[in-house]
Amino acid sequence: MPVAGHVGSDYERLRPEFRVISNPFAPGERVMLVPSIRPDVSLIHAIAAAADGTLLLDPMEDDALLAQASRVVVASTERIVARGELNAVADGVILQGIHVAALVEAPGGAHPTLVRGVHPIDGDHMREYIAAATDDATFKGYLDRHVYG
Amino acid sequence: MACAIAREVRDGETVAVGTLAPIPASGALLAHFTHAPRATVIIMNHPDYWPFRNGSKEFYDFAQRGKFDLFFLSGGQIDRRGNLNLIAVGDPARPRVRFPGGAGAAMLYYLPRRVIVFRAEHSPKVFVERVDTIASPGSTPPDVVRPGGPWKVVTPLCLFRFDRARAGLVVEALHPGVRRDELQRQTGFALEYDPAAGVTPAPTDGELRVLRTRVREAVAKTYPRYAETAFGR
Repeated sequence: MPVAGHVGSDYERLRPEFRVISNPFAPGERVMLVPSIRPDVSLIHAIAAAADGTLLLDPMEDDALLAQASRVVVASTERIVARGELNAVADGVILQGIHVAALVEAPGGAHPTLVRGVHPIDGDHMREYIAAATDDATFKGYLDRHVYG
Repeated sequence: MACAIAREVRDGETVAVGTLAPIPASGALLAHFTHAPRATVIIMNHPDYWPFRNGSKEFYDFAQRGKFDLFFLSGGQIDRRGNLNLIAVGDPARPRVRFPGGAGAAMLYYLPRRVIVFRAEHSPKVFVERVDTIASPGSTPPDVVRPGGPWKVVTPLCLFRFDRARAGLVVEALHPGVRRDELQRQTGFALEYDPAAGVTPAPTDGELRVLRTRVREAVAKTYPRYAETAFGR
């Protein structure tokens, strides 16, 4: 797919899979093409969802784009509600259930990141993670406390 | 720096501020609350200044269509040619320092009509003769679509102007109290001066009052820690 800009930067050198071609629609111009990203699976946490897999997503995030790029979408959600309730949220992004392979109700499933309108980011936990992620021993301690514990 | 940025904002423009940019957000709002009331101010993920509802895709698509008059970028390294390095110091395969990455910076340095580069550290480590990796070039060949590009560079010590003819940075103004020898010591390339180079006007009482009231209050909604510490009393 084409991207604006980029031609003349070191991305041409660092990313051999990026191609620069003459723009067939505008002679004399060069344009960069990049391969599409096609994830096998994406894991998405929804603010709310209906039993048919339709998701209410955060309008500030790119979850719907990610879902439509992926071969398989596995979703978790704060709560499962009636389909009609999802439309009542004025600002929400709706992803239709046709895109979703599996859905599980898992309140708090996005912690320590935020779920807009439900809970904020857990800053203390993020700082603990960043400190622990600096080496394998401290990271094992983090996993023991929060994942295996 | 916020005042220097505010003075570059023109009334009626669309001014957009990306991620991790509290100083440009402050400058854009200061302009909006003073001389640019008809500017459209966009601040990433701000509850009152973020008009997009389909993630960052809607923002990037809007930018790719050339709809921003003024945008802001920074760099781990910035060089005399206006090149920005957001990738790495040293060989990118075995970096000595890894930066966050360019994200959209190789597009957002081309499409907005004017880009102001900001950096809160003015040192020879940041302002180098040549960046190790060019995430965003200051200039491009004529067969590359580029309606916009670098306009100014704002630091705690000075204001550079990007000179298109020379394809490089020239000092437009030193901030009050900064001497030329001191500026040269803190810069990793030989400075060139605009013949009309002067001194940046100090922030006025009026600018400071607006910064410390309305701007601080608005910026706090996206940058609470910055709003607590950066504005003085």
